[in-house]
Amino acid sequence: MNHDAPNAAIAARALRRTFKGGIEAVRDIDLTVSAGEVFGFLGPNGAGKTTTVRMLCTLLPPTAGSATVAGLDVVKDAAAVRRRIGVALQEIGLDPVQTGRELLELQCGLYGITGERARERAEALLELVGLTEAATRRTKTYSGGMKRRLDLASALVHSPDVLFLDEPTTGLDPASRLTIWDEVRRINDGGSTVFLTTQYLEEADKLCDRLAIIDNGQIVAEGTPEQLKAEMGHDVVSLSVNGDHATATETALAGLAGLERVMVEPGGIALYVEDGAGSIAEIVRRLEREQIPTGPISVAAPALNDVFLKATGRRLEGQESAQQSAEAST
Amino acid sequence: MTEVLLLGRRATREIIRYPEATIPTLFIPLFFLVVNIGQVSKTFPSTTPFLKGQGYVAFQLPVSLMFAVATATSGLALVTEIDLGYFDKLLVAPIRRSSIIFGRLTADLVRGIATSALVLLVGIALGARIQTGVAGALVIVLLSAMFGVAYAGFGLLVALRTRNVQATQSSFLLFFPLLFLTPNFVPFDRLSPLMETLARINPVSYVIVGLRSLVINGWVLGQLAVAVLVIVGLGLVLTGLSLRVIATYDR
Repeated sequence: MNHDAPNAAIAARALRRTFKGGIEAVRDIDLTVSAGEVFGFLGPNGAGKTTTVRMLCTLLPPTAGSATVAGLDVVKDAAAVRRRIGVALQEIGLDPVQTGRELLELQCGLYGITGERARERAEALLELVGLTEAATRRTKTYSGGMKRRLDLASALVHSPDVLFLDEPTTGLDPASRLTIWDEVRRINDGGSTVFLTTQYLEEADKLCDRLAIIDNGQIVAEGTPEQLKAEMGHDVVSLSVNGDHATATETALAGLAGLERVMVEPGGIALYVEDGAGSIAEIVRRLEREQIPTGPISVAAPALNDVFLKATGRRLEGQESAQQSAEAST
Repeated sequence: MTEVLLLGRRATREIIRYPEATIPTLFIPLFFLVVNIGQVSKTFPSTTPFLKGQGYVAFQLPVSLMFAVATATSGLALVTEIDLGYFDKLLVAPIRRSSIIFGRLTADLVRGIATSALVLLVGIALGARIQTGVAGALVIVLLSAMFGVAYAGFGLLVALRTRNVQATQSSFLLFFPLLFLTPNFVPFDRLSPLMETLARINPVSYVIVGLRSLVINGWVLGQLAVAVLVIVGLGLVLTGLSLRVIATYDR
């Protein structure tokens, strides 16, 4: 099937997957990823990220709609699609009793690279992901980060046109995460289109040229990180207000000049206002008048976090803990 | 073909590196061989007509060979691979899905040859004489290994259908009706009428009879041909079903 973007590395139209029991994991999503892009698919657990990746990788047939990868239909030309894609799924697919080198050489063989060429390719990839020293060890002895890197290497044996990475850094320590980011950038520089799913805002922000936010099986926002943030328009004033005073605060601030949106969250209130710095004095005055105690107040430009909040109505789960762990070890 | 060899080599390597999976499967056949002989050799001395002058070990040996090769090891390896996610990696590679099955069965053939050769040697050490000589011994090992390959299809089928380790583990229960409702202790005509009927409709009986003829009677081509037919038939049915399930996996 021809989609409207002939150069698209990935194009999905009204792609849908319903599981037994009527669970609608992916609901009619449209996606276009241009060749050479790093495209991020951001969403919480259970949003439909993995189901989408599995459909695009030919592992799961869509219930309805269609998709092409490298210009080939994922259902009708599944075999041809498989030759053009590399895949590293969320569950790291490694054979525990093989060594890293054996695993890569076998992977080469499955893509028709055999003999001396397979040995050279495996060696080069081990070098690329920094596993040369561990090459003769069985993969069950590898750390989480090493497993991820080997899995990534095994997705690259045939220099795929399109690389799918399903949550490539979930569960990794910050240092390993940075290593994976570097590798993804290098792979992308080498000409591969990268489609990655993530539940980390920072990852989407730093690594992706464009991203889509998926929630509940539907795409709720799409664009470059800068576009998405710019669409938020204005400043975010964060107030540390005790939850008991949330309603009183909202009432006190009603009618504030330039106030566009108030989001109540655990531990505070976020105010989306036209002019953050200019509004602070008035905000403080109103809170004092109502005798609402408030802690630190900060003004910032909207972050991806705010984009996600606006698009889905909630914060991305687990984000705090991920950021905390990142801060703790740096 | 290259894919099958690559995956077969990998699965064989797995057997060698993970002997914990194979050694317990050898315990049952060797245990039964020694214990059964010890318990009934006075009841069935070498003068017993159906033993043709040999000890009871010659009569039991084919049964032990079947015990040794009939395992769910490949099914367990496959279901573990499904669990770990490596199976997805294979599915997404540009290979024929059938080569995943044939790769596993290649390893079953290698394991079957090794384990049945070992059991045969133990049987010979315990006094069995192979009436058909070295050529017969080779045929015995090969047929046993082929039966192991055919039987492995059942474990693979359960692994693919259930994707569940416990279910695949318990698939070895099939072993009991298939290998015990047979003339495993005495010939057909010495079984009770009900047991004889059940044994006669169980195709595995004829594999035991065929192998036994090579040990005790010499080259009885009719019995041998039936044994081969049963092995090939069982293999075609179970492998065919596994191929069908893997072709439509997640469809």
